[in-house]
Amino acid sequence: MKVLLVEDNERVTRFVVKGLQEAGHVADHADNGRDGMFLAASEPYDVIIMDRMLPGQIDGLAIIEALRKAGNRTPILILSALSDVDERIKGLKSGGDDYLTKPFAFGELLARLDALNRRVQGSGTQTSLRVGDLHVDLLSRKASRGTRAIALQPQEFKLLEYLMRHEGQVVTRTMLLENVWDYHFDPQTNVVDVHISKLRQKIESDSERPLLRTVRNAGYMLTADE
Amino acid sequence: MNKFLRSSAFTLAFGYVAFGIAALILFAAPLWYAYYVTLQDARREGLRTDSQRLTEIFRRQGVSGLSTYIDNRVGMQIPGERILLFADSTLHPLSGNLPSWPASVPAESGEYDLPITLSGSNTRAMFVENELPGGYRLLVGRDQALFAPLAARFWFGLAAAIAVLSIAGVVGGLMIRRAVLMRVDGIHNTVQAIVRGDWSHRLPTKAASDELNTLSMTINGMLDQIEQLLHGVRDVSNSIAHDLRTPLAELRSRLEELSLTRPEAEETFAEIDGAVVDVDRVILIFNALLRLAEIDTGMRRSGFVPVNAADVARQAVDFYLPAAELKGVTLSYRGTGPGHLSGDPVLLAQAIGNLIDNALKYTSAGGAISVEVHELADSSVQITVADDGPGIPDEEKPKVSARFYRGDASRGTPGVGLGLTLVASVAKVHSGALELGDNHPGLRATMVIAAQTAGALPTVLASADPAEAGENAVTGAANVGATSAHGGSRAAADAHNLRIRSVS
Repeated sequence: MKVLLVEDNERVTRFVVKGLQEAGHVADHADNGRDGMFLAASEPYDVIIMDRMLPGQIDGLAIIEALRKAGNRTPILILSALSDVDERIKGLKSGGDDYLTKPFAFGELLARLDALNRRVQGSGTQTSLRVGDLHVDLLSRKASRGTRAIALQPQEFKLLEYLMRHEGQVVTRTMLLENVWDYHFDPQTNVVDVHISKLRQKIESDSERPLLRTVRNAGYMLTADE
Repeated sequence: MNKFLRSSAFTLAFGYVAFGIAALILFAAPLWYAYYVTLQDARREGLRTDSQRLTEIFRRQGVSGLSTYIDNRVGMQIPGERILLFADSTLHPLSGNLPSWPASVPAESGEYDLPITLSGSNTRAMFVENELPGGYRLLVGRDQALFAPLAARFWFGLAAAIAVLSIAGVVGGLMIRRAVLMRVDGIHNTVQAIVRGDWSHRLPTKAASDELNTLSMTINGMLDQIEQLLHGVRDVSNSIAHDLRTPLAELRSRLEELSLTRPEAEETFAEIDGAVVDVDRVILIFNALLRLAEIDTGMRRSGFVPVNAADVARQAVDFYLPAAELKGVTLSYRGTGPGHLSGDPVLLAQAIGNLIDNALKYTSAGGAISVEVHELADSSVQITVADDGPGIPDEEKPKVSARFYRGDASRGTPGVGLGLTLVASVAKVHSGALELGDNHPGLRATMVIAAQTAGALPTVLASADPAEAGENAVTGAANVGATSAHGGSRAAADAHNLRIRSVS
């Protein structure tokens, strides 16, 4: 994944670029709005990480608006210290695809970048999802593993569907809260973990291969790989 | 004076006076006209009758008879009563009280109203001229000047009335202005005091419900709201200072110790992990406080939409159900009616979630928690979370509630105190309240949300931008959360747009 980071804080830049490189991605970076605008417009990137408040004449939202106006559809994650609901909405309205508030955990950032990148690749409507021998029919809302049918509550189905759509990606607890339950707040308990372990019991019987992994300090990942 | 001319009281007084004068003139003009015409007709009639009588005398007694009669009459009459002139065909006067035939009167029978010169002074007179047999001429007239005082008196009366009206108007205007100015000055002084920062002042109000009073009361309401917002901001600053200092101090000492002692790599990493946890705790408190402030200031009211409280509660129960099962606690939803209200679904979900979370913490295995949504007779909505845990002793309840409202409960633990504070704030922003009751045993926490919150929105604070709300409101809000491939935050933003739209 080729990532452009537009961010003026040196420490944050070093932290993110190093993390991305360690995760096997290529990262370019610009420390002001003008360079960022130039790079974003001239190079093909998979994902752009955009800080909102930048030195120079152009701020992050203006760059995003300009890029979108020019027909650039690269997914953009806005990184900002402004956490108000209204600011968030402003960011997404300007053409951003996701919004992450500073300070953030690197795992959260990486998971969201993956999700954005995957969203572009895996567009188009699907009627069924498959991960290994786990199969989900989105029309009849039925799940099965091999020949074994799995009975799921509507919420469990939603959770599983989200995990399967993000197969092989780390999905954080916040992402699950926002996308499965539409809860944009931190319930401050491990309720998500309980939901996951319940789902895990249903999709992984003792004899079957584990699919749903817990990724330390980040979240969960559904994958058929070893 | 210039200031007076520009005041609204003067404009008002001036308008009334001008109207009064116009009405007076409109009334007087036809009256004068009718009176004048009638008077002139009567005079002319008198002259005609006189002329006929004299002609009769001429016919019976001839030239000398009429001359004698006229001379007698002129000698007897009050000066100026009648102008009489009897002349021959060459206009040479034979008798009468005019020395010669007046130049302005033509030698022809008829009725005239002409200016003439009478004993050296110019005046105006009405004449009836008659040609008698034999070419003799008879002129009977009347000096109009005698009636001048009457006209003068009439016009003087009118002018006096106008003058009185004008003076009364100006004085009245001044008095009204004084009265209004005194009250406006009161408002002015109060506002000045507030601008200087003294928020204890309020506009003077009376029991009477006149316009100025109503306006004052509305402004006072607005001031109360602003003062509350200011207090909210101050509370948050205080809370942040207090609540964040403790974990920051811990973090600082941890890092300083690390820097001083320089332990082995293994231990260093463990300490670093610990520091990250400390920072996360700081961030958690920080976010919670900001969110509380956001709610307390009432900003979120701009995002109010029709909400089905039962749906929100049911979803929250579904969300916490696995956690409850894990703990061996029964969590069930019981409710009557859909619980329609106007509110923020995200806040309500968080509030109900916090109540359930709280109940879960204090309920031991085998216990039961029930979530209830009831629509009351006055169509206000009651959301209750009841548990059978230890509850809160009665004597502590008011104290605890009071602390919630002040937001001081956030001090110390980020868990319980902050959670319930948020519930109280959410209830308050929905024009409701959090009530803590006894469940015999256990705690029965109830949010009562007034029905009319939709209508009673303080529009002063609703800051929905119409331009923003107009576009892009249709996308994806219907399937929030369902289409997982679609960014959740994006869908949420769209949903929020819809909210803004439905309010504006």
